Amino acid sequence: MKTRVFILITAVAGIFGFALLAGPRPINPFAMSGLDREILLFVRLPRLVVAALMGGGLGASGAVLQGVLRNPLADPYILGLSSGAALGAAAGIVLGVSFFGALTVPLLAFAGAIGTGLLVGLMGWRRGGIWPERLLLAGIGVGFMLSAVLMLFLSVSSNEGLRRAILWIFGDLGMSDWKLIPYGALLIGLGLAIAQRRAKALNTLMLGDDLSHSLGFSPRKETALLFVSVGLMTAASVALGGMIGFIGLLMPHIMRFFVGTDNRILLPASALGGGALLVVADLIGRTVMSPTELPAGMVTALLGAPYFLYLLRRRDVIG
Amino acid sequence: MSSDKKKHDFILELDNVSFSYERELNLIEDLKLGIGEADFTGLLGANGSGKSTILKLLAGILKPAGGSVSLWGKPMTSLRHRDRAKLLSYLPQVLDMRVPFGVGELASMGLYPYGTPPELTVAEALGMVGLSEKRDTLITNLSGGERRRAYIAMTLLQGAGILLLDEPLANLDIKFQVELIRLLRELNSTRKISIVMALHDVNIAFQFDNIILIKEGRVIGTGTPENVLNEELLKKAFDIEVSVHRLEEGSFITY
Repeated sequence: MKTRVFILITAVAGIFGFALLAGPRPINPFAMSGLDREILLFVRLPRLVVAALMGGGLGASGAVLQGVLRNPLADPYILGLSSGAALGAAAGIVLGVSFFGALTVPLLAFAGAIGTGLLVGLMGWRRGGIWPERLLLAGIGVGFMLSAVLMLFLSVSSNEGLRRAILWIFGDLGMSDWKLIPYGALLIGLGLAIAQRRAKALNTLMLGDDLSHSLGFSPRKETALLFVSVGLMTAASVALGGMIGFIGLLMPHIMRFFVGTDNRILLPASALGGGALLVVADLIGRTVMSPTELPAGMVTALLGAPYFLYLLRRRDVIG
Repeated sequence: MSSDKKKHDFILELDNVSFSYERELNLIEDLKLGIGEADFTGLLGANGSGKSTILKLLAGILKPAGGSVSLWGKPMTSLRHRDRAKLLSYLPQVLDMRVPFGVGELASMGLYPYGTPPELTVAEALGMVGLSEKRDTLITNLSGGERRRAYIAMTLLQGAGILLLDEPLANLDIKFQVELIRLLRELNSTRKISIVMALHDVNIAFQFDNIILIKEGRVIGTGTPENVLNEELLKKAFDIEVSVHRLEEGSFITY
């Protein structure tokens, strides 16, 4: 197991290094011009950090949520947070509001996601805690409702903002900015820290609420706490750069093939794997058809899905 | 109500407990029952008699609407979850079989309530339940009997003196049933663990030290199998005529 963790960390570090140097304009780290240095520090590094944070947050949230809901098909977006974020962002873009400059859209997206999270959490709450089945159904219901409002909103708007709003919804890392990073890092770091501290409780929740109780946890409270961690990570991730499919749903499964089911290892592994995959997808997206950029979310799925299907054929299915 | 239980202190006790699931009539009313140290008790009753509910009340999973549950003389509600887990463990009837934890990984969850692990090691616990060879096997690949034993290894590491089991023999064939009862007996006599098991098979109930006979959420008999498992009480509990046969090798019923 130690060897596998070491391989994983080394591979992720290698991917990050490579992504900084490769691209439409390859950079030789031993002979950098002034322009190279500018590109590295102010274009590629912030973009890499944003992609790593988003992918990491989604990978870890997916692992937490699949455990809490005891459902291998759970995806952080299933709770409707992303629909809330998309609605917030689309409203900001289409209406052209701007009260915090460049931070306006991410802020509206975050507010939309957290507001949705509170609503879904409230509906999943009963007798002193959160119940997984209620939470899941509440998330799906609220998500559909918000998506419908978003569609209504987009179908009656007809300006240039519409195209930008749609691009944003499908994952736009092009607007990544150093200014956003501290907030994103703080929220995703906080969510990950909560989940990591409750990883033992999450292991027991996967065996069922009664066993979790017998092993010394309060299943209702642990579920609520883990939901907060998922909410923080998912909302921050969507606010940083829109919706990225695949990672939240399938990265935890890919990592289970490598490091097993114990969430104390699976959560950080899913975060690392998710971060690395989105960094690679973004690198490919901005390189292959340069100067046209392909949406990172699309590349993520194109890369990840065949690999996942290959693993699925080779190993036993989990779930 | 027959009672020949010697006066002694109960370590786990329901006192005048009442309970109902939401919007339903009281399933349990004014229930009193107690479990002593190193008891080997069968909670016997027909389907729907309230056995599972009583076990969950004893485990602290369900909160009584009235009355109190006490563990080692303290109200259950006054104990921290972690401290309670060191005294009491509960295994549900249906054990998860979809999550691919390793056997050793699963068993070591019994150590979660502890900061520093107690004396028993994972290897020793697996040895006691006969799963030493399967430490790295995934629980998804075990037979029903083995899986049950893996979870019992977990409760051993938990170090609790009371083990509550909900119908652990259901869906096991006779070999695994016998093996499991033997294992629990051994843990009961060597490690002084109080075993409380919900069951519905009267012939298995004869092997216990104590029987608590349940009907519609009430105790209709408590004591040794010889005293409780008679034709009159069994008819009352199960609503069917049975004949009890007592032989030197053991007792059994026919119907």
